[in-house]
Amino acid sequence: MNRTLLLQQVLNGLAIGSVYAIFALGYTLIFSVLRIINFTHGAIFTLGAYATYALTGSQFGINGLLAGAKLPFRLPFVLALIGGSLVAAVCGVIVERLAFRPLRARGADPLLTLVSSLGVAVALVNVTQYLFGAEPYSYPDPLEALPSAVNFGTAGQPILVRTVQVVIFGVSMVVLALLTWLMNATRTGKALRAVAEDMTTSSLLGIDTDRLVLLTFVISGFLGGVTGTLIGLSVGIAGPYFGIAFGLKGLAVIVLGGLGDIPGAVVGGLVIGLAEAFVPAKYIAYREAVPFALLFLVLLVRPQGLLGRAQVQKV
Amino acid sequence: MATFLATYDFLLVSMVLAAVLALTLYLPLMAGQLSVASPGFYALGGYIAAILSTKVFRPPAGLYPVTLVLLEMAIAAVASGLLGLAVGLPALRLRGIFLALATIAFVQVLGVVALNLDVTGGAIGIFGVPQPFSGQLQYMWLAIPLLLISMAFIARLERTRTGRALVALREDELAAAAMGVNPTRYKVLAFTASAVLAGAVGAVSAHFINTWNSRQGTFDMSVSLMAFVLVGGSRTFVGPVLGGLVLTALPEALRGVADVGGLPPWLAQFLRDGRLIIFGVLIAMGTVFFPQGLITPAVLRRLGRRTPTPGA
Repeated sequence: MNRTLLLQQVLNGLAIGSVYAIFALGYTLIFSVLRIINFTHGAIFTLGAYATYALTGSQFGINGLLAGAKLPFRLPFVLALIGGSLVAAVCGVIVERLAFRPLRARGADPLLTLVSSLGVAVALVNVTQYLFGAEPYSYPDPLEALPSAVNFGTAGQPILVRTVQVVIFGVSMVVLALLTWLMNATRTGKALRAVAEDMTTSSLLGIDTDRLVLLTFVISGFLGGVTGTLIGLSVGIAGPYFGIAFGLKGLAVIVLGGLGDIPGAVVGGLVIGLAEAFVPAKYIAYREAVPFALLFLVLLVRPQGLLGRAQVQKV
Repeated sequence: MATFLATYDFLLVSMVLAAVLALTLYLPLMAGQLSVASPGFYALGGYIAAILSTKVFRPPAGLYPVTLVLLEMAIAAVASGLLGLAVGLPALRLRGIFLALATIAFVQVLGVVALNLDVTGGAIGIFGVPQPFSGQLQYMWLAIPLLLISMAFIARLERTRTGRALVALREDELAAAAMGVNPTRYKVLAFTASAVLAGAVGAVSAHFINTWNSRQGTFDMSVSLMAFVLVGGSRTFVGPVLGGLVLTALPEALRGVADVGGLPPWLAQFLRDGRLIIFGVLIAMGTVFFPQGLITPAVLRRLGRRTPTPGA
């Protein structure tokens, strides 16, 4: 592999990896606060992508219940992205109320909560299919005014990266910066970190833990919606199930990074993005297996994740 | 009756096979381990039967010998058991959500491999798996004994030292280990038994549905199996069996209702295609309202039957 191709693959890997990272942060935030894996994250990713599609004023296909329906207005893509992500955030809150709060009130086993959220995820994805049909959709291209690729090399030695990859990398970095600021520089972020450390103690210290749990689901849902739209922009919406596949991939990212570890999720996302980009062309068909093979290996060798420290078993 | 059997032959056999598959999820759950690996072993068993029957055994003209199907089932069971052992030994050091995640990853990796190998027919899969029977209903000759044997095995297991060790692990792993129960040994045992059973069911299914490809035994199936066990009941083997039977028949029954006519189109369409919406909602509601499922040992006691799980 020559230097140009190498750099090109690194840039592609970073672009997709940054999306994996902010998607995985949606899981990580909830895990760090509640110690549960929110399987609905993949379904919310799907809903966000469809919501953005609707908000761009596009029409739905012929197979769903809402065949041929479209909104009476048309938002510019950036506003549709934000709007679609807000819809996803609202879905996150609804899911929290319906599937998580009743179990939390009872102090149920995290495994039971995982199963319950899986049930909600399956229902949501199939409701999406019931409403919008199983056909693939793609956004009206917001980047058509721009050239289709950006050259990071010289004119003689071009290192071309698709413009859309550059854009999703940029958006991911903005989201990541906002999240870092929120977590580290605001009172809310401090409270969130306190709740993640110890929910009972922080509630005794006067932190409204229920409100913060809700906020966690809002942020997580928003992140799911953003990533759904970004992936939809890059490769199209391949049907309602694309969120399930992506959601499973996100699990590989958080396990790699160490469950509940925020910097770990970012590193895990970048590692998986790069690992996928460097699958040799001959074995490209096996690329979809890479995150899961990594997930399996990491669980066996280093269950605490790449950056994590081993957990002491409490007796 | 004859018309009923002839109309619903495919469904009836599917129901029985689903009940056996539900038991493959129940076995590790007896020891408190949520493993969704059985679709992977089911897929493996199906591929073994499909490859052996179409490429190796070279079937004679006419019906395929049932003895060869039994031989394939045995080979599939052994191969799945060995893979189960190889995966289970390292994976069952994990517990709770980590084990669930590892088994999800296992099923995903197997799916991608099956999609890309030549021997499994790639994306197209393997067609024309030979038929040992002249009608689909006759697959009951394989499915019902399989179900009865596995039920008898688990019923017996629940009364032995091994079964009590599994229940002890489910209730409190640390306490069980302190009492001298080797957690890894018993968990691997339950996991391997589940793999063996799933492989055998896969071998039958490959003949039954006549074709095998990478869409068999996927994550979707993990979800269905979870619905069978969690709605049916996870504390006695009667729960998963009834869950498998009823929830496999349910979509067909709803389809029947949809065909009656006079319903608004959205409702009819929901009744026809809403299988996974209903399963999803059932799983979520089941875990919230009936964490042990509908059929619990207490329910069985009330029905005046012997309790299958003493002390559960």
